[in-house]
Amino acid sequence: MNEPIIHVQHLRKTYGDVVAVKDLSLTVFRGELFGLLGPNGAGKTTTIRILMDIYAPDAGEIQVLGKRPRQVRSRVGYLPEERGLYRKQRVMDVLLYLAELKGMPRKQAREQASYWLERVDLQDWAQHKVEDLSRGMQQKLQFVASVVHDPELLILDEPFQGLDPVNVELVKAILDELRDSGKTILLSAHQMNLVEELCNRIVLIHQGEAVLYGEVDAIKRRYAPNRVKVRTNRPLEQLPGVRRIERQEDGDLLELAEGVTPQSLLRELVRRDIPIEMFEVAPMSLNDIFIAVVQGESSPQEREARS
Amino acid sequence: MNFRKVWTIARHEYLVNVRRPGFLIMTGLVPLLGGLLLLVAAFASGKTMHMLERIFVGQHMTGVVDESGLFTPILPDFARDYQLYPDESSGREALAAKAISRLIIIPDDYLDSGKITVITASTGVDMANIADSQPLKRFFIAHLARGVPDPRLRARLVAPYDPTILHLNGETESETQGPFAYISHLVVPYVLSILLIMTIFVSSSYLLRGVSEEKTNRIMEILLSSVTADELLAGKVMGLGALGLTQIVIWVVAGFALSGGAAGLLGLIIPLFDAPGIFLLAILYYLLGFLMYAVLMGSVGALGSDMQEAQQLAAIFSLLAAVPLMFAGVLFSNPDSPIFRVISWFPLTAPTAMMLRLPLTNVPLVDIVGSLVLILITIPFVLWLGARLFRLGILMYGKRPSVREIWHLLRMT
Repeated sequence: MNEPIIHVQHLRKTYGDVVAVKDLSLTVFRGELFGLLGPNGAGKTTTIRILMDIYAPDAGEIQVLGKRPRQVRSRVGYLPEERGLYRKQRVMDVLLYLAELKGMPRKQAREQASYWLERVDLQDWAQHKVEDLSRGMQQKLQFVASVVHDPELLILDEPFQGLDPVNVELVKAILDELRDSGKTILLSAHQMNLVEELCNRIVLIHQGEAVLYGEVDAIKRRYAPNRVKVRTNRPLEQLPGVRRIERQEDGDLLELAEGVTPQSLLRELVRRDIPIEMFEVAPMSLNDIFIAVVQGESSPQEREARS
Repeated sequence: MNFRKVWTIARHEYLVNVRRPGFLIMTGLVPLLGGLLLLVAAFASGKTMHMLERIFVGQHMTGVVDESGLFTPILPDFARDYQLYPDESSGREALAAKAISRLIIIPDDYLDSGKITVITASTGVDMANIADSQPLKRFFIAHLARGVPDPRLRARLVAPYDPTILHLNGETESETQGPFAYISHLVVPYVLSILLIMTIFVSSSYLLRGVSEEKTNRIMEILLSSVTADELLAGKVMGLGALGLTQIVIWVVAGFALSGGAAGLLGLIIPLFDAPGIFLLAILYYLLGFLMYAVLMGSVGALGSDMQEAQQLAAIFSLLAAVPLMFAGVLFSNPDSPIFRVISWFPLTAPTAMMLRLPLTNVPLVDIVGSLVLILITIPFVLWLGARLFRLGILMYGKRPSVREIWHLLRMT
């Protein structure tokens, strides 16, 4: 397949007796927008900090851009979850300093900083102190600080936090743009709908382990087949192969037993001559899957595998 | 370690802190105070009193009503500043017309009583100083001595001595001029030592504050995604060390300018360059001391969860470095006393102790070499420990680790 940009094998990290990351393996390929999901305390931030060489792992193998994290830190952009900039310094100075620390020459850094400030509509604030900016503007500036040195790999921890809907769209557009230009992006976010929209592959970490990993569509397909939404004017009862019926405003949500396909149910409904206004294989949203997995439910396949 | 990044950090730290109001005030205040001190010293000195009186009060004439006859006529030397008036009322008129700034009435029983009356229009410095005014005393003595036949004796009565002071300085004797040269010879290097010590604390407190701020406002994580903790610490120590040196250079240059500007009144800064070896040695101790304290302060700043806590922790080291200052009394009476030799050798107090001791006495070579060797042995250990504590502390939010935790983590890293 593609060139792996992040390659993590059996990563483990503990703080004293607390296991933050138990055994995590994942690969992110070039040009991907990869989603890192998980409830609070799942080990996302620890994983990211290890990728950024801020923490050392207890065990496991980590390669970033084909090398050890320390060797490539100037080619990686990082937006930490805990935001912060020099409040008393001017916007432009802060950006130049951070770009220079990443090894970018000052002249080029100035061009890049100007470009990005304009891109997020902060060009008029370049000479203002950071503390003069509104909260939303500071969030945008923080984002700019992570991309100003033109990194190949971008690691973003909750980039949409604290942004209003307009700016969420702006950042989304920029992320799409960056991906299209060949950058690789690792994104950690709580907003499932955004992850669903943006990412082609995800990993869901729970208690330090990957519980879901792969293409978003495949994951959804894996969870989807056994739920069907049907709208009819006839009450639906005692259908073979239906385990549970949940009445919703716009129809009934039918949970099918194992081995029962939507097709066989449709056949049964037609056979019974039930007038169907709507028949839809109900996909689970990523959010539902997230909640289901975290709360301990497992996918049908996993259930099968266990039995 | 990537030295370009260290350099970038050092430059940033320097530029940010050089603009701090605290730095500017302190850097400016010291030469200003020095200048003031110089003026006060000059004031106290009789020789320069007259000149300063002229500078501050302006040219003034003194009217004299001489009822005793001892001051008539006024000697040519004093005719420029003293004017006779036949009686009090004409004198008062001149005073009212501002032709003179004060009127001295010398009664006919002056020789018996010594009493005179001074009427003055101003309430300025000259008023307060009339009793001790050297020019006025000279005016009186010169006229009273008019009857002395021997002109040499007359001259000695007016100006009793013109001193040349020889200062014992090792094998050589150096000649110093002016009544305050001797004191300045002792005091100036001592004051400079104290300034150097202050600079160490000021710069390392900037380091402490900087680290603490970066930790509190969470920019630390971004920095650590670009540079290692060691590079960060090294850059900060270098940048702030340069800042401290800047301050010293400004002070020394200002000292030159001041003593030059004061028309050679007192060669205040000269003693410093009488013994350049001592000065250079003091700078060496300064650099080593700064390196040690800065690294310790930086790591301690990283361990505290906020500024206040960091400062409390840092107080331990400030106290340690200030121990020699507490023994200043011992130092002055006997700079080579055993207690001072002990703190000159102990690495954490040695830089400050030696900087205080060097200008006051001929420190035995064994003390200098011994303390330097001990400091040089200690520094790698301090750097090792400091860098580790720094690395540990910078990402630890919320709570300060206990001593046991620190020990445990130190052994793990």
